[in-house]
Amino acid sequence: MEKVCVLGAGSTKYGKLPDSIADITTQASISAIENAGIDPKEIKAGYISNVFGVADKQVHLGPVLMSNLGISDKPSLSIESACGSGSVAFREAFANVAAGFYDCLVVTGVEKVTHTGTEWTTTYFAYCSDFFYEGQAGASFPGLFASMARAYLTEFNTTEEDFARVAVKNHNNGFLNPKAHLQKKITIDDVMNSAVVASPLKLYDCCPFSDGASSVVLCSEKFAKEHGNDYIEVIGSGRGGSPAALQGREHMTTIPSTKIASEAAYKMAGITAKDVDFAEVHDCFTIAEIVDTEDLGFFEKGKGVQAVREGRTNLNSDISINPSGGLKSKGHPIGATGIGQVVEVFDQLTGKAGARTVKDAKIGLTHNFGATGASCAVHVFQSV
Amino acid sequence: MTIKEQLIENAKQGKVLAHKCTGCGLLHLSTVYFCQKCGSKGFEDTILDGTGSVATYTIITVAPAGFEKYTPYAFVVLQLDNTNLRISGFMAGIATPADLPVGTRAKITGFDERGIIIEKQ
Repeated sequence: MEKVCVLGAGSTKYGKLPDSIADITTQASISAIENAGIDPKEIKAGYISNVFGVADKQVHLGPVLMSNLGISDKPSLSIESACGSGSVAFREAFANVAAGFYDCLVVTGVEKVTHTGTEWTTTYFAYCSDFFYEGQAGASFPGLFASMARAYLTEFNTTEEDFARVAVKNHNNGFLNPKAHLQKKITIDDVMNSAVVASPLKLYDCCPFSDGASSVVLCSEKFAKEHGNDYIEVIGSGRGGSPAALQGREHMTTIPSTKIASEAAYKMAGITAKDVDFAEVHDCFTIAEIVDTEDLGFFEKGKGVQAVREGRTNLNSDISINPSGGLKSKGHPIGATGIGQVVEVFDQLTGKAGARTVKDAKIGLTHNFGATGASCAVHVFQSV
Repeated sequence: MTIKEQLIENAKQGKVLAHKCTGCGLLHLSTVYFCQKCGSKGFEDTILDGTGSVATYTIITVAPAGFEKYTPYAFVVLQLDNTNLRISGFMAGIATPADLPVGTRAKITGFDERGIIIEKQ
């Protein structure tokens, strides 16, 4: 298996963007290619992650991107795995470079939905659930995570203020990220006083619907060394699955796919959870980050909330969780999110993260899932 | 009738059509075609009472299209009595968490455009 490296990375700003889905896909890809210091003609194929291209009248984005990059003869494909699309596209690209099929790929995730409004997005996102049992019965995505939150409140010594602490922490980090959708600090009171979306989750427990695109150039170690720019190495990759509906899970406060994916990624990397210096985790809702940090092995089940209370997941504490601001503050353009996490890890490990730099970091992790964690991918990266 | 249509007809009678694995005996919802535990495709139909207790729930105030007129309502995960199975559905008339503590006794009472309908017992 070839060693696989990230040679360049770039994102648009996340938020409400005026440009088309094709334009922001191209903008992010060009920034990654320029950051890598390569010529587009060196790219052998394109991997695109996107869920709701139909909302902006453009599916089959790959050939549009390849054409815009002047490499219309190069193959491409699009991958949909709900909110986990980005990490799945990254995984497939990783596997193809590792297998030696390609020595250089562009992997770009994108979403453009804010122009459709809250009702459209709430309705269409619910199609990512096990629709017969969940979406059809009126469950929204906030509602499904709220059901996990209710189970967590019932099972463990936790309050709604504890969930709010996750939002406050991620907004503190996102405040330092010029690409963040919600680049502002908030307080526990702001969260507690925000409108209830799906009890017990309130508006500020939820990530925003965002537009945005993120892109990375993925290549073999040989290719990276020949090009001379800063790069990082992908040392672990794992995927996993869970019952599609919450009702099918043994514990509703655990996401099985996270455990399966992270165990596989740690094994490939030859590390344990203790070796991870910082992690970009899938905090689509505050409860999700608490569950994630337990399922990834950073804290015991039921103890994630205590870690948040004690500030152990703050920037430059025991383990920096979501230094970018996470989905909560940086934003959640669903097809782009998994790639955006890799962009953050690249920036952190190559000294480009500015005021939100995790000091002395050597190993970063990305964790991204689809729906309520029905699908999941985890990747581990190491500075070179 | 398809299996889903049979599941719906049973829900309208307050029942749950389940699949019992002929290999290992594990119960599954009838939309499953292979046993999660032993991989067998052999199932026999088992009709369960749609009674149980609330395993978890949420009260939805920002609703998907078509559900605005029902807000606030609950989405409920029901633990079915005497089985390993849970099933989800819609519950009307729930406004605050005090209306529906976890563990509340509930039952399936129907099926319509809101999916499986669950009511408090």
